[in-house]
Amino acid sequence: MMRLRTIMFQDDYIVSTVPACTEMADMLWVSGLMLSERERERYTRQLPLIGEDGQERLRGASVCVAGAGGLGSPVLLYLAAAGVGRIRLVDPDRVERNNLNRQILHSEADIGRFKVESAAEKLRALNPDIEVEALPAAVDSGNASQMARGMDLLLDALDNYEGRYILNSAAFERKIPLVHAAVSGFHGQLTTVIPGKTACLQCAMPHPPEGEDTAIIGVTAGIVGLLQALEAIKILLRKGEIAGNVLLVWDGLWCRLDQIPLSRDPDCMVCGTGDYR
Amino acid sequence: MMSVRVRAFARFRELFGDRLEVAVSSPAMIRDVVMALGQVNADGLLELLDGEGRVKNSVIILVNRERITGKGREEHPVADGDEVAIYPPVAGG
Repeated sequence: MMRLRTIMFQDDYIVSTVPACTEMADMLWVSGLMLSERERERYTRQLPLIGEDGQERLRGASVCVAGAGGLGSPVLLYLAAAGVGRIRLVDPDRVERNNLNRQILHSEADIGRFKVESAAEKLRALNPDIEVEALPAAVDSGNASQMARGMDLLLDALDNYEGRYILNSAAFERKIPLVHAAVSGFHGQLTTVIPGKTACLQCAMPHPPEGEDTAIIGVTAGIVGLLQALEAIKILLRKGEIAGNVLLVWDGLWCRLDQIPLSRDPDCMVCGTGDYR
Repeated sequence: MMSVRVRAFARFRELFGDRLEVAVSSPAMIRDVVMALGQVNADGLLELLDGEGRVKNSVIILVNRERITGKGREEHPVADGDEVAIYPPVAGG
C-alpha cells in the first residue's frame, strides 16, 4: 500500500482524474488510495483549499523531522494534524523539565522519556490515520543518508549546526528538499533548500554561530516552527512560493519578518566546487 | 566624512536599532562602519566581534543587499550612501 502511495506522489498522479467507476472507487478505497469518510470529515476545513488530490498528496508524503524539541513540537503537531501520511522523527534526547516552556508536545509526565517516544504517542493520538516512526538517535554522518532515504522532505528542527550540516549534505546527496529553521531569544530564521537549485545551508551559513544559544521565549519556537510546517505543506502540495535563496528572519520584538537574500556559493563544499572560502 | 546607512536585523536590531546612519571617514570599509556602531552601543559591539576583535565570521554582512563573504570581507569598500546590513544567525531549536 505504501509503495503505491509513493509511486503516486512521485509520478504526480491525481486520483480524481481516474474515470468515475464504482468498482474502481471501491478498489481504490480498499487499497487506501482514496480518502475514507473519516478522513473527509477530519479534513473538511482544508479540503476546499487543497482538494482531494492535495489531501492524497499529503497522505502519500514521507517527511523526516530531525529534532522533537522547540521547533519540532509545533512542526510535528501541525504536519500530523494536516494529514502528512508518514512522519519519521529523530531525536536522541530525553524530556527534561527545562524543555517545557517551549516543547509543547511534552508534559510533566513525560520527563525522563525519549522525546521521540513522547512525541509519537501524542501524534498517533492526534491522528490515527498517519504512520509515525520514532528514532531515538542523533543525526550523524553514519546514519543521515539512511535516515533521509525514501523521504520526500527533510525538516531541520535541530539545535546544533554539526547535525544541521550533516542533514544538509544528506539532502544534497539524495536530492531531497530541506527546510532549515533555528531560533534564539525572540528571533528565528528559516530557509528552504532545493538541492542544486537554491543556496544550501552551507552556502547560507558557512560558519556556525559560536557558543551556547539556549535562552528563548517559547513562543519564538512556536512561530518559527509553524512557518517551517507551512513551508513543508506548501512544498508537498506544490503551492505558493517557497523561501528558497532567502533567509526569512522573524523578529518577535519588532513584529517583523525580514528577508535576507541568499545565493548559491559556487565554491560551496557541499553543493559547489568545494574551494575554501 | 561620509554617511553610511546601517540596517540591523534581529538581535542586532535590539542592540543598535532598526535603521541608523553612521559617519565614517572616506575612504571607508566595512570594518569602519562596524566599529562606528560602538558609538551607538559599546557593549553591543562586543557581540559583533570575536576574541581577536574581528567581526565574527558567522555574522552575515550585506552591502546594498549583496552578500559579502571571504576572509577579507572587513576590508570591502563602502561608499557614501551605501547600506550595510548585519544579521547574526541563530542556532537553537
